[in-house]
Amino acid sequence: MTTEQTIRSLDDPDLFVETPGTIYDAIPPLPPRTEREAEFYAMRDGEMLINLGPQHPSTHGVLRVVLKIDGERVVDLDPVLGYLHRGVEKICENGDWHHAISNCDPLEYIAAMFSEAMPVMVAEKLLDLEVPRRAEYIRVLAWELNRISSHALFVGWLALDLGGLTPILYGFIERDEIVEMLAALTGQRLLFNYLRIGGVNGDLNHDFLSRLGDWMGNALKRIEDQQKLLNSNEIFVARTRGLGVVDRDMARRTLLSGPVLRATGIPYDVRRAHPYSVYPELEFTIPTREEGDSYARYLLHLDEIKQSIHIIDQVLHRMPDGPVMAKVPRLMRIPPGRAYVSIESPRGQYSAYGMSDGSDQPFRLRIHDPSFFNLQAVGLLMPGNLVADTMAIMASVDPIMGGIDK
Amino acid sequence: MIARQDTTEIRISPTNVAAVMTLLHDDPGFRFLILSDLCGVDTGSAMQVVYHLWSDSTPDWLRVIVDGLPRDDPRAPSVTFLWNGAEWAEREAYDMFGIIFEGNRDLRRIYMPPDYQSFPLRKDFLLADDAARSPGQGVRHMEQTFQPAEYRRTPVLRQALGSDAGQMAPGIQTADLASGEDPAR
Repeated sequence: MTTEQTIRSLDDPDLFVETPGTIYDAIPPLPPRTEREAEFYAMRDGEMLINLGPQHPSTHGVLRVVLKIDGERVVDLDPVLGYLHRGVEKICENGDWHHAISNCDPLEYIAAMFSEAMPVMVAEKLLDLEVPRRAEYIRVLAWELNRISSHALFVGWLALDLGGLTPILYGFIERDEIVEMLAALTGQRLLFNYLRIGGVNGDLNHDFLSRLGDWMGNALKRIEDQQKLLNSNEIFVARTRGLGVVDRDMARRTLLSGPVLRATGIPYDVRRAHPYSVYPELEFTIPTREEGDSYARYLLHLDEIKQSIHIIDQVLHRMPDGPVMAKVPRLMRIPPGRAYVSIESPRGQYSAYGMSDGSDQPFRLRIHDPSFFNLQAVGLLMPGNLVADTMAIMASVDPIMGGIDK
Repeated sequence: MIARQDTTEIRISPTNVAAVMTLLHDDPGFRFLILSDLCGVDTGSAMQVVYHLWSDSTPDWLRVIVDGLPRDDPRAPSVTFLWNGAEWAEREAYDMFGIIFEGNRDLRRIYMPPDYQSFPLRKDFLLADDAARSPGQGVRHMEQTFQPAEYRRTPVLRQALGSDAGQMAPGIQTADLASGEDPAR
């Protein structure tokens, strides 16, 4: 790419020379498309733009953030999404309802058991299908295990983005044991494809149960070790306490959910607010914090791990006998209608709106991913902070780009 | 079995969106403070915008369907004056369906490239047509073959038979690959 242009000579400031442009020349800015974009790209004195990402070790996936900085302070930012966009909703419309299960798997790839539940639960609601109780209990068991593995990794990631290398190793010990356990149950380590319309793909087996028993024996102790590692770490506390504070009003207006919302003191958990599966029969509390900062979010994740262990304990003691699949035909025509389902994923409210026109394919399957809204809210927290703290704030809401970009 | 929780729905026209949403949000009898979801829908004959609202007084969602947006120029008012988190959801609905939300101050594409022309989740979107319009005509750059230009101009038969083939059809002038001469130039 060469373009002719006239520049002032470096030797003689009064002389203009013609040089061929190079690929390193700045691309002339497009005219701003919106009011907000015009405001963002209007630069004041001393401000500069830098790109964070799209390939950056701390951006949790392929996310590009254009930061407008003044010295070390972030003035404004413009997240650029779409690097992982695959058009999952369109793909789901072109396959049948069973295909949608495995297509929705890689959305929230750290906790795939939640995103693959979406087409399943929409179809069950439209069919008005009762899932066998044993299948519901197995689902809850798998969901809570997956939640713990995701939360354990969150704690490690947060510390890693702040420069601490040790906690991620502990996080991966925890995660690997659970992932191996779920691999014994489902056959897959990451994208499980385990839930089915009307139940689950297979019953509990000996390998899974023996691994689960080994892990349960010292799970709580391990969480407490992890807590000791960071709770009293002066640098960690200094860099997270009081950082990225969300207040209640902002949390409601920016559609936050999950641990970010509960860290502001609002006890909104989909498992209690809109009961689904067998959660009404189980005992657990909804941990909340009042501070709303990164440190509160970190502590809340540890509390939630403990609650999940408590739920798993109850599920194992109450596991009923019976079939794990309802009697459903192999080729299903879902009755026409509209359905909205919502579950509590590790990152917040995971919901889906499905429409069926009576065929075997979804007419529309809209997936609502909590990371999408949490990331948007994070953008509102950044201005005024240091560039290095953008990492800590972003890591403290734990975005997963697979779900954000769909 | 747990109740469905999503059977309450109202249908409104796009002109009433701001008034209805403000009433549902602010009225002490409703208090629908949480917007659970916002999405666009193409029914094939019209566009819709679907909101799911939640109030802490009931475990049920309220589904508000803004129906009857014309497919050639779908426009609906933005709800960012109540929930500024709806901004990205509206950008997504604009990107996928082309629904223009009046009042959203950052309505540009969010997933697709800025110079992209189509709206992928519309029912009349065909991937093959869209690919043919895009750079590369639907062939990704890693799938394109990189042959020397001479080979592409040479008839296939000539390549298969070798350089002697020219002798068999004396009337046709063909390229002499060894010498680098190409009569097509």
